[in-house]
Amino acid sequence: MRLATLDRKLLRDLKRLKAQAIAVSAVLACGVALFVMATGMYDSLERARDNYYDSARMADVAVSVVRAPDPVANDLAELPGVNAIEARVTGIGLLDLAGKSDPVSARLVSLPPDRHPRVNDVLLRAGRWPDPTRDNEVLINEAFAEANYLAPGAQLRALIYGRYRELDVVGIASSPEFVFAVAPGGMLPEPERFGVVWMGREALGRAFDVDGAFNEVTFRLGPGADIRDTIFAIDERLARHGGRGAYGRDRMLSAQFLADELTSLRTMASILPPIFLLVAVFLLNVSLSRLVATERSNIGLLKSFGYGNLSIALHYMKFAIVFALLGAAIGVLVGRYLGGYMASIYQKVYRIPELAFDAKINVYLWAVVVSLIAALLGAAQAVLRAARLPPAAALAPPAPVGFSRLGQGIENAARNLDGKSRMVARRIARFPRRSATTVVGVMLALALLITSQHFPISMNHIVDVTFGVAQRMDATLTFAETADDKILAEVGRLPGVFSVEPLRATEVIFTAGSRTRRDTLMGLTEGAYLYRLLDQNMDAVDVRADGITLSQNVANKLGVKIGDTVSVQATDGHRAHAEMTVVAVVKPYLAGAAYMQLGALSRALREPGRVSAAYVLMDSRERDALNREVKELPMIAGVSFLSNASASMRKMLNEGSGFFSYMFVVFSCLMAAGVAYSAARVTFAEQERDLATLRVLGFSRREVSYVLLAEIGALLIVALPAGAILGALLSRWLMAQFQTELFTFPYITESSAYGRSALFVAAAVVGAALAVRRGVDRLDLVGVLKSRE
Amino acid sequence: MSREELPVFRLVDLRKIYGQGEAAVHALRGVDLTVAEGELLVLLGPSGSGKSTLLNVLGGLDRPSSGSCFFRESDLANAADAEVTQYRRRHVGFVFQFYNLIASLTAQENVELVTEVSTEPMPASEALELVGLGKRLHHFPAQLSGGEQQRVAIARAIAKRPTVLLCDEPTGALDVATGVHVLEAIVTANNKLGTTTLLITHNADIARIGDRVVRFADGHIRSIEANERRIPPSELHW
Ligand SMILES: Nc1ncnc2c1ncn2[C@@H]1O[C@H](COP(=O)(O)OP(=O)(O)OP(=O)(O)O)[C@@H](O)[C@H]1O
Ligand SMILES: [Mg+2]
Repeated sequence: MRLATLDRKLLRDLKRLKAQAIAVSAVLACGVALFVMATGMYDSLERARDNYYDSARMADVAVSVVRAPDPVANDLAELPGVNAIEARVTGIGLLDLAGKSDPVSARLVSLPPDRHPRVNDVLLRAGRWPDPTRDNEVLINEAFAEANYLAPGAQLRALIYGRYRELDVVGIASSPEFVFAVAPGGMLPEPERFGVVWMGREALGRAFDVDGAFNEVTFRLGPGADIRDTIFAIDERLARHGGRGAYGRDRMLSAQFLADELTSLRTMASILPPIFLLVAVFLLNVSLSRLVATERSNIGLLKSFGYGNLSIALHYMKFAIVFALLGAAIGVLVGRYLGGYMASIYQKVYRIPELAFDAKINVYLWAVVVSLIAALLGAAQAVLRAARLPPAAALAPPAPVGFSRLGQGIENAARNLDGKSRMVARRIARFPRRSATTVVGVMLALALLITSQHFPISMNHIVDVTFGVAQRMDATLTFAETADDKILAEVGRLPGVFSVEPLRATEVIFTAGSRTRRDTLMGLTEGAYLYRLLDQNMDAVDVRADGITLSQNVANKLGVKIGDTVSVQATDGHRAHAEMTVVAVVKPYLAGAAYMQLGALSRALREPGRVSAAYVLMDSRERDALNREVKELPMIAGVSFLSNASASMRKMLNEGSGFFSYMFVVFSCLMAAGVAYSAARVTFAEQERDLATLRVLGFSRREVSYVLLAEIGALLIVALPAGAILGALLSRWLMAQFQTELFTFPYITESSAYGRSALFVAAAVVGAALAVRRGVDRLDLVGVLKSRE
Repeated sequence: MSREELPVFRLVDLRKIYGQGEAAVHALRGVDLTVAEGELLVLLGPSGSGKSTLLNVLGGLDRPSSGSCFFRESDLANAADAEVTQYRRRHVGFVFQFYNLIASLTAQENVELVTEVSTEPMPASEALELVGLGKRLHHFPAQLSGGEQQRVAIARAIAKRPTVLLCDEPTGALDVATGVHVLEAIVTANNKLGTTTLLITHNADIARIGDRVVRFADGHIRSIEANERRIPPSELHW
């Protein structure tokens, strides 16, 4: 098949323009790659989650009760909207792992004797299902098994409800309920220190002293069921048995984390790719406008031969289409690779079977469509100009580029410039839009890089503040259930303990107007030293007795401000109800809740003298001794050491952030280099004749290079500070965009983030400009004299 | 020998071959020529005979393939790149058929571009005065006619008081009257500044303004004739 002549011209021109094609396509590819990665990952994660939740029957609603006799379960199953229920026994225990001093907390969950759970199914990953006739056979969760190198056949010593038991691990399992397994009172998965243990209902019922009864129910709702009505019905039915208030997935930590992650991915997919695409549009506009300008006479000639405006327009459009397809192809490949890497990180954090990067065809189609749109937008102006060019005008030599003196003020300032600098200044002023494109492109690249550098800074700051300034205890002892405050004295006598501070944490339901929210209400002692409430200005906020302090998050959800009243309904104990005045709103970084002075809280709940955890300051050398004693104390459900928690937190926040930080360096540098390269190429092409003339006049290569590079240099000097300012604004804004239910990213800045970013971007720009500068060495001094411009 | 007695250029068996093998073009096939200080030499010859090639070699824009090309005592054929650049900067003034002005600089600035880096230049305005453009200092090239642009190019070439002025068809793109103006500017420079001048033209009439006329054919010098009298450009008719 013979290509049409115009297409052969296209191919030849593309070969000539390949460097510029690469520059434009690279920027486009970055945008496409981010789009494919974020959108594809979003789809994959959402699909994997939904599939898992469906196939393994993730609970829609759950409720815990003090103790309800088995027959009550039948009533619950009959409630409207309920599709399936599972009544079970669950509780907290301590595990003593061989070779591990720190006690490990375990969530114990009962398995029905003769079948799989109807809700929150348990999937066997290795080993076998426990024999219902053997009390001590258990399953453990996969993450915990891996972190502690436990395989079927392992033995565990468990302290359950004050009694020791030997447990035989017969299988490793996973469950949608524990995609993200977090210890009670914890914030993060710490698989080394927290495990899930599934065992027979009979045995566990006996262990927790709830024979013939259950203390937790999980529900699957039918399609179209109204969750609020169902929750209301459940609570009503369980009120007599000590129901603690049913809640939906929005209060199931594992589901909450997944939802959070999806929100971040969506934010990323909607903000980052457009920035790159926008820059690609500008670049294409500059490159194609230049192409059409140099091809004026060709266009005139073609038109005089009878080629129509449409076929000319199409011809130049094809350049854009080639750039777009090239960018889309590279972007898709890179995006798939990045997505695969991201999935591998997610696999470490989220235990979802079959979680892999698996973008569907529509993601790729969109990637192509979006880059085509970007390319056509970028090409539109140049293509229109080519189509509209009247053939006669096109054949005449182009009107000379009219330079003019700059404003008088600038001219005066320029008086001291040498001729070469004046050339540079006049060019910048003569092509303001092109100069602006370069500045904006470099600015955006810098701003993006600065922003990407702020995330790790922000995360480290969260950890530093949370585990250094706000929380200053060495260890937190969590009690199995709210305990009498006499236990504090006992804690104080544990080896190495210097000081003890109590905490009372309880789940409550807040109501303000028509809005309700279930959240944790924490009672802290006044002037608490070990656990301090900090707002984002790092000021310690003292909890007050005359009202309730809300985190910003909760206040927003309830739509209340200082001075408003919220009603608080306890979900356990006496189920007390109180109206409280909001006396302060704080902005903690991590999952905010509500806070009160401990004594006032106890009075409001009509349960004086109860505590649910103790913060201690201790001698770290006594840690083993303390651990030994804690393992003998039946009331203690978990010990967490601050140093471990902060290390896990840092690890999770930084998981993969190194890789992504590199990715942003590469992408931003590509953007800066692409912009600079295109600008320098165009400048060089337009000035080639002048530069050669300067060489003829006896200017050295260095001097001639100066004329070429000073333009980019001057634009860079403008772009760097502007980019830094934009970076500060963008970081601030993006941090706010990435705020989720659980995390608030503070905008914390370090000058090194700016310095490092500016260095990278400047290096990319200089590198690109130097690549173009090599053209100065190859200038054809003789050739330039033979031809008219 | 003192400097004054040295010829400005001394060419010995100068050859220039473009390309290789079958496609090789012998642009210069052995040129021997000596140019004295202050001389105005006119180069004539059919298209493709090698005139521009020779001028480019003399101007340090191109390298000969063999032979020597002495500017005073230094051989341009073997000089380092930076030396040749320095040579162009200090000693050579160029005037081309297509002016080659910098579009973003005014007439005066185009001249200053060169004077800024010369050792003892004349003021740019004086150079422009010399070519009759004293009133158009602040115009950009696009605002000047072809002849005016060419005169700016001449002012740019002579302002640094070059040792040699090399003009390749300076009137090629101009009409007669304008061409006369341009030639007058060149002759003025030659007379007043004593600049050794080489001028390429296709016009046998113009040859009469020079001291000697070198006729080229097929890469050789076919003949060299001395004019009895230099005719001022204003007396030319073509
Ligand atoms: N870069 C080059 N590559 C190959 N051949 C060249 C090159 N430059 C010049 N030539 C050839 O060298 C020969 C001499 O060219 P030159 O430009 O010196 O001629 P000229 O006498 O100046 O002609 P004109 O009067 O048309 O300007 C010609 O045959 C030309 O084709
Ligand atoms: Mg010639």
